Amino acid sequence: MGVHPRALDYAESLPDGVIPDESELTCGTRIEPGKSYGFFTDTTLCIGCKACEVACKEWNGLPADNLGLTGNSYDNTGDLGANTWRHVAFVEKIGSGDDRAREMKPFQSNWLMMSDVCKHCANAPCLEACPTGSIFRTEFDTVVVQQDICNGCGYCVPACPFGVVELSLEDGKAHKCTLCYDRLKGGLEPACAKSCPTDSIQFGEIEDLFGRARRRVEDLHGKGATDAYLYGAPDTPGATGGLKHLNAFFLLTDRPEVYNLPVAPTRASDRVRPSFLTGLAAMAGLTLAAAALMSAGRERGR
Amino acid sequence: MTGRPVTAETMPGLPVEQTAIPHPAVREWNGETYYDLASLKPSPFDWKIAAYVYVAGLAGSSQIIATLADRLGDGRDETIVRNGRALALAGAVIGAPLLILDLKTPGRFYNMLRIYRTRSPMSFGSYILTGFGVASGLTAAAHLIGERRADGSRSPMRRAADMTQVPAAFLGAGMSTYTAALLSATSTPLWASAPRAMAVQFGTSAMATAAAALSLGEQIAGDPENSRRLDGLAAVSAAGELVASAFAEKRHHEAGVGETLRKGPIGTSYRAGALALGLGVPLACHAINALSKRPSRGLSVVGSLALLAGGMVMRQAIFQAGNKSAERPDDYFRLTQREPEGAKPRRRVDRAIEGRRNGRDPGRLP
Repeated sequence: MGVHPRALDYAESLPDGVIPDESELTCGTRIEPGKSYGFFTDTTLCIGCKACEVACKEWNGLPADNLGLTGNSYDNTGDLGANTWRHVAFVEKIGSGDDRAREMKPFQSNWLMMSDVCKHCANAPCLEACPTGSIFRTEFDTVVVQQDICNGCGYCVPACPFGVVELSLEDGKAHKCTLCYDRLKGGLEPACAKSCPTDSIQFGEIEDLFGRARRRVEDLHGKGATDAYLYGAPDTPGATGGLKHLNAFFLLTDRPEVYNLPVAPTRASDRVRPSFLTGLAAMAGLTLAAAALMSAGRERGR
Repeated sequence: MTGRPVTAETMPGLPVEQTAIPHPAVREWNGETYYDLASLKPSPFDWKIAAYVYVAGLAGSSQIIATLADRLGDGRDETIVRNGRALALAGAVIGAPLLILDLKTPGRFYNMLRIYRTRSPMSFGSYILTGFGVASGLTAAAHLIGERRADGSRSPMRRAADMTQVPAAFLGAGMSTYTAALLSATSTPLWASAPRAMAVQFGTSAMATAAAALSLGEQIAGDPENSRRLDGLAAVSAAGELVASAFAEKRHHEAGVGETLRKGPIGTSYRAGALALGLGVPLACHAINALSKRPSRGLSVVGSLALLAGGMVMRQAIFQAGNKSAERPDDYFRLTQREPEGAKPRRRVDRAIEGRRNGRDPGRLP
């Protein structure tokens, strides 16, 4: 029946306080430090209601921004940023120009919708780039920016392979999704997942989610939706180039680029060694050349 | 790019379809983007960081040249030593504020030294700059207090300067080139596509500009012979930079990301300012001087000034073009069509490919 037996203990409309381990009642997961948690965003279930965007803004007290129309689609949010930690992308699969579809299959909307979020990468490039230790890995295996440490150097911004982190010019610090760190500490499911009316956003222990997602892909394939695949789970697109896996991963039904995701993102810090060692080797060569030219002066007659 | 493509073979997590329907993630990318909106955020680095890269390289390489002149010279290189040490200190003194001013919360600059991280050039670079600044400051101060005596012997202070110059010179090599690693270790398409070539480009440019600045100093001090040697070093470095630039451009082209550095006003300033003026002119000037029996002072000065200007234009152009490439989703998606070099194929994948070659259907992979 889907209702946790403990839920009956809290049947009143106005509970006295916070329900202990409330996440167990809302998503069947008890939140304990030391375990890995994440999001499984199943885009085949997304209806584009943007409840996740609103819940995120409300819980995290994020200011409104971009009050305008993009003219592209129902997506007037545009992208993830300092003040937007959930972003619902709307892709209309109807073609354009002469290729524009004239007829649609029954019960198909031809819209792909996907609630994008910080991926909380297993090897997070933003964290590895951060020179102050402001970005750290929490006891829930999520990646969070500590606002009281960040000095706004901005190096995490280009390091992120998904364009998630952004500096706010209001306060001069980097901001991104915290996977509701404060809620996790209080035993609450993250706001976006809790508010999602179709369970397109599922919160849970990451290994559970991987299993759930693989079963969902098989299920969809069985039903004829053979184009469903995972993005960001181990050994799938998105989990490439040393990123290992993404703690917030997705089920997609078209090329990742269609959703504004790279098919093979890379771990930026893997380029430090080749670059720096090559640079130092070049400097060693130049130093030898300089030494030859400098000592040539000894042969000059006085 | 020599990485492996993302296909069902390289991604065992992808279900292998029995049908002829191409898998969406395996189907070839036809240039689709999300309404052409940026997939990445450009770095917030502006002209100040580009100027810092220039100043850091010039200062670091100046310290190397000064140290070599002091160790290997015959006593007539004193102005090179003095000017090199002064330039090194000046670079650290000018560079640090440039970096701090670019922070969005500059009052917390000291947090840079809160942790140490080898995977972040922004982190270890802060230590290189701090160490270089301290060592160069000590060297320059001790040098100023204890100039070489008239009889050629060295005072204790001068000997102290000669000791601290060695760590300063080693850190100077880091100063000259770590900034390339800083840019390459991002997801910005232009910077990420040529990590090695750009490191050589920055390093050679650092040495070339340092030699050019010191050569100007020798012209002012009236020592054309020293100037000639430094011009030789500048020419060798500039030639190396030209080769590295060509390699970088080849890498950009292979990855399909070089357009922001080739076209538009940035492309013009890169080609005309960094390559033609910054490398072509000095190479020509120094070559003419090297071949002629009576080297011209004017050509030497023009060559040095062109190198100094070109080095700055090169840094600014690469910064602007990189930030612009981050805003072009097709640049990023072209770059990320393949997994990067060094990613090892997994064993079970090899088995699956092997099975397919033998005509057996490997079936659904685990």
